Amino acid sequence: MPTPSRRTFAVAALAALVLPLSACGSSDDGSGSTDASGKVEGDITFQTWNLRANFKPYFDGLIADFEKKYPGTHVKWIDQPAEGYADKLSADAAGGTLPDVVNVSPDLLAPLVKAGLALDLDKAAAKYRPEYLDGAWTGQQTPGVGGTYAFPWYLNTGPMFYNKGLFKKAGLDPDSPPKTYDELFTDALQMAQKSNGKVATLANVPTVEDFGRYGVELMNKQGTGFAFNDAKGVELLTKYKELYDAKALDPQALTATPESSGKKFLTEAVAMNPGSALDLENFKKQAPNLYKNIGITDQITSTGHVNMYVMGVMVNSRTKHTPAAVAFAHYVTDAQNQMSFAKQVAIFPSTAGSLDDPYFTKEDGTDETRVRIAAAKSLKNAVNYTPVLFSDQMKTALRNEVAKALQGKESPKAALDNAVKACDQLLQQQG
Amino acid sequence: MATSTVSRVRRQLPTSPWLFAVPGLVVTGVFILYPFVSTVVNAFTDRRTLIPGRFVGLANFRELLHDDMFWIGLRNSALYVLGVVPALVLLPLLLALLVQKNIPGIAFFRSAFYTPVVASIVVVGLIWVWLLDERGLVNSLLETIGVGRVGFLSDQWLLLLSAMAVTVWKGLGYYMIIYLAALAHVPRELHEAAAVDGAGAVRRFLTVTVPALRSTMVLVAALSSVAAFKVFSEVYLMAGPTGGPAGEDTTLVMLVQRTGTGLTGRVGYASAISLVVFVVTVALMLLVLRADRREDA
Repeated sequence: MPTPSRRTFAVAALAALVLPLSACGSSDDGSGSTDASGKVEGDITFQTWNLRANFKPYFDGLIADFEKKYPGTHVKWIDQPAEGYADKLSADAAGGTLPDVVNVSPDLLAPLVKAGLALDLDKAAAKYRPEYLDGAWTGQQTPGVGGTYAFPWYLNTGPMFYNKGLFKKAGLDPDSPPKTYDELFTDALQMAQKSNGKVATLANVPTVEDFGRYGVELMNKQGTGFAFNDAKGVELLTKYKELYDAKALDPQALTATPESSGKKFLTEAVAMNPGSALDLENFKKQAPNLYKNIGITDQITSTGHVNMYVMGVMVNSRTKHTPAAVAFAHYVTDAQNQMSFAKQVAIFPSTAGSLDDPYFTKEDGTDETRVRIAAAKSLKNAVNYTPVLFSDQMKTALRNEVAKALQGKESPKAALDNAVKACDQLLQQQG
Repeated sequence: MATSTVSRVRRQLPTSPWLFAVPGLVVTGVFILYPFVSTVVNAFTDRRTLIPGRFVGLANFRELLHDDMFWIGLRNSALYVLGVVPALVLLPLLLALLVQKNIPGIAFFRSAFYTPVVASIVVVGLIWVWLLDERGLVNSLLETIGVGRVGFLSDQWLLLLSAMAVTVWKGLGYYMIIYLAALAHVPRELHEAAAVDGAGAVRRFLTVTVPALRSTMVLVAALSSVAAFKVFSEVYLMAGPTGGPAGEDTTLVMLVQRTGTGLTGRVGYASAISLVVFVVTVALMLLVLRADRREDA
């Protein structure tokens, strides 16, 4: 047997080194079909966003029903934790391993649309459009790109929790929590004064959604640049600075995360905190004293519109089984399944007419139903205040400038001007 | 027969060692060389997470010069080196001297000092966050003795100092073990001779122990300065994802993570920052080694 020469060996070694690399670097650019009219069959993967822990039986049943309805299909369900979801999506998208059907919010959807990774449902599944609320369908569109790229799924407003005991101690009416930002500022200053700065009312700095609910124009009319540095925006930030100076805003708010502010609320260091219906169970287990005193109210808003969180289900444009992926994404989000999911947890369907169901309109005397009916009512005129193109980097830019204003390192006007400038620059770089 | 076997082995020798090295080479190539080369190439492009980049020359580096956050990151990483390295060169040495003696129960202290090294940095970071929180144990104690609450986690400088303290606390045991190994090789006769000449404990430490351990101290300085310049976890856990109030505690590696990850990550720009981190790290190593060589001369 001839011995391989050095050159042969060198070439072999180089190939061994380079071949795996080429596999790493190449992305699967073989686009899948946009035609969803074929036979519904094949194996597909479905990814949800932090839903397995609480809703496993629901999704197991949903998948089993789909597979029964369409023999020859197999759905593999994967669930990702809430934290780092965007990073997981970006790693999968860059590595060409994005699942066939993916749970996304509009801001996560936009970059995937721009990269050509989401299937245009206006082309592939236009017949389903009338089944959904018009606003929910258009909510899955990305500015500057034609088409709709996800089936609308559930809507939510997210309640505001408050601690009735702390309200009482501060001489505030526990049954009349603040509804508007002006009421919030007055109550928060009183709370800080009565507790000698030991109890703050809020644990978080204002986000872009706060600016929206205060009535600030977030973007210009053309949608080409941000505009939250107007007089109204400056007014909101100035008020927050007053809260921060009076310790009505927690001193650690500048570095707070949703988890840390949730903990502050649990330990009764802050009196109000936004949350979701799932938090109630958490309060019951971890802070029984707080649970006894818990109050639930609507989000603070000065516009009359609360913020609406919209979830969607997109289809990977590179799926090998377009008909099955589209059929499953529609199945998950159709009126019947959205309604049965809404009965599992306090979320609201985005399908036309569902919110008129007696489940969302008829009182039965329980607090739970009262809260549900109120939320469904406020959803009818809710607004998704999160600009679709507002990326994580923009959130950080705004947050850092807000922090500078609260610390007094910059005036509120200068801070917001800088934030708008930074966000506009990032927007341009997004292309 | 034997001659032909030997000659066959000789003929195959140039190939065989390489064949054994292939698995290692592949792993090194895939997980070290390729990412490194890719980072260098990306640094000269405007690549984003999901959008392939175009060659932009030195544009990313020019942008760095005008990016306030980059200078904040560079300042904090440099301050971290200045704050952490002297502490990690000296304190573990003192600890090693303390636990070097074979007295009853000393194993407990050796283990106790080493425990933070094996603990997860996330767990350690969270414990310190709870301790230093506005309503944490440390602040409650300070309030009890009348000092009042201190904003360990809300003041930009105290936050950085707190993170440095955690890095030092967590690293003490690791470097202590390195010093213990080196101390075992310091000849006992030198200490005895110095003692006979009338040198006290401090004098013996300065004139016998320190010179004998100089190369170990240089090694510790080199290792800890590289680790300190690349710090991420401690600051991220204590200052939050934004890097402290207004991002004032951001370090360079945090900036790389924040800029280059996510669906809209600026991979090209983050690669340019990574390249700066690499150059500074290599420069730091060279500086320490050069200082050591100058001492030798």
